[in-house]
Amino acid sequence: MRVDGGVSDTLDKLAVRLRDERSGARRARLIAVGGGKGGVGKSFVVANLAASLARSGQRVIAVDGDLEGANLHTCVGVTKPRASLADFVAQREEDLGKLILDTPIPNLRLIAAIGANLAAAQPSQARRVQLMRELRELDADFVFLDLGAGTHAAVMDYFMIGDDGVVVIAPEPTSVENAYGFVRAAFYRRLRLAIASHDVRKLVTTAMDQRNERGIRTPLELLREIEALDPAEGARFVETMSAFRPRLVINGVRTAEDIKLGFSIQSVCRKFFGLDADYLGYVNHDESARHSVRARRPLIDVYPRSDAAIYFSRIARKLAAETGAGEAVEPLP
Amino acid sequence: MKPLAEQNHYEILETHVSATREDIERAYRLSLTTYADDSLAGYSVLEAGDAAALRERIEVAFRVLSDARLRREYDATLSLAPREELPAEEPSAPLVPVEANADADRFAHVLDGFAREDDESGEFDGERLRHFRIRSGMEIDDIARVTKISPSYLRFIESERFADLPAAVYVRGFVTAYANCVGLDGKEVAASYMKRFEQGRSERRRGRFFESR
Repeated sequence: MRVDGGVSDTLDKLAVRLRDERSGARRARLIAVGGGKGGVGKSFVVANLAASLARSGQRVIAVDGDLEGANLHTCVGVTKPRASLADFVAQREEDLGKLILDTPIPNLRLIAAIGANLAAAQPSQARRVQLMRELRELDADFVFLDLGAGTHAAVMDYFMIGDDGVVVIAPEPTSVENAYGFVRAAFYRRLRLAIASHDVRKLVTTAMDQRNERGIRTPLELLREIEALDPAEGARFVETMSAFRPRLVINGVRTAEDIKLGFSIQSVCRKFFGLDADYLGYVNHDESARHSVRARRPLIDVYPRSDAAIYFSRIARKLAAETGAGEAVEPLP
Repeated sequence: MKPLAEQNHYEILETHVSATREDIERAYRLSLTTYADDSLAGYSVLEAGDAAALRERIEVAFRVLSDARLRREYDATLSLAPREELPAEEPSAPLVPVEANADADRFAHVLDGFAREDDESGEFDGERLRHFRIRSGMEIDDIARVTKISPSYLRFIESERFADLPAAVYVRGFVTAYANCVGLDGKEVAASYMKRFEQGRSERRRGRFFESR
């Protein structure tokens, strides 16, 4: 085992392999939803996108991946989940499929995360591997994975097994800042997998520490360092860069400026990180959102005619259309 | 991926060589927002001086690309094949965005994509116009600048303050221009809006008539 994060590299590799594995029959599309900051509406977005796809006839499972702050069940109208991911983590249940609960919304099912042992909420490494494997095996058209806040290794692993990685951002400085941090962390993890040379991997690991001595701030600067060290690895780096495509959702927009924020973040990602993000869509700030959370149901279900519900179904349609057309999304020019 | 120093004017504005003048203007406005000093998207990534340096590049890029002659000369230095369809020498005329070129740049592309999915039929009242405007990413002032209609009239149209608007024939023109500007069918929208307008005005006239009796 290497000192520079051997265990989590093994996991990362598995994550990527699981993502790329095509196990015979049609497999669920796994959409991991993160964002770095808490309180930006990840669960709200997951509940509504999931409900929206379910309404359009897709078979959807929403999985709460936030063992320490579980609340997705509330957002989809399940009051007291009788089973939860915590049972899987604590090895009380081996079959993830048995933890699936029905919700009041047809076609939408749930794996809750309530009731974790807070002294040991996160699964062990071995358990995490099993969990990721099981997640890929779930029988559905779409599986949404609602991630916890932060850029903890466990969060990033789940983000990496997704076919899509969605980053939810609120139009406020703290959220935007954490979103960049999140994108950067996800990118570096992926990068370390692609790099073969030990020296270059060490450099990447150094760069992941933001206050590093070499002053490497962005992937683009890192690329220059790598190219100086090893041109072949530089090429691999560029390849990883172009394959990495986080998708942005701006939640809670109030003005046209807020809508443009998605494009601005795209621009900053491109100019300063060299990364192509995709602006998946935005959801407006809507009073009915607060009411729907109070009502403990997805907005799309309680207020299907509200603006926010319309924005959600727009994003959902976009996701559904992509699945029909295969998994690769045509990059925008 | 090229470092900023090596990016050409098109890359700096994040547009493409066949962009129309409107595309370029839109890309320019968006870049200025993104790299403003207090920009929400930029402040945590950019370091002191980054934004100012970039804005300088943006200004130069826009100055060249928004001038048909300078742009042609610049394109020649990029050894680009001449564009098939040069955006003619019309640029001094006020820009009236057309809904064509939806794919022209990613800004228009995505926003128009969003708007296209909306149902564009049915009645258009002021509130609905406002929604479409916000969806198209435009502020009142943007529309005012493009259409040369005063911002207060545009606001009156959105808030349906019919009494404060001028004669119907003008309002029809305003609404048509407004609708075209946010990517709607101006004629259709104006027809629908004007029904509300006439109705609103006639109710008001009747009201006044009864009052005066």
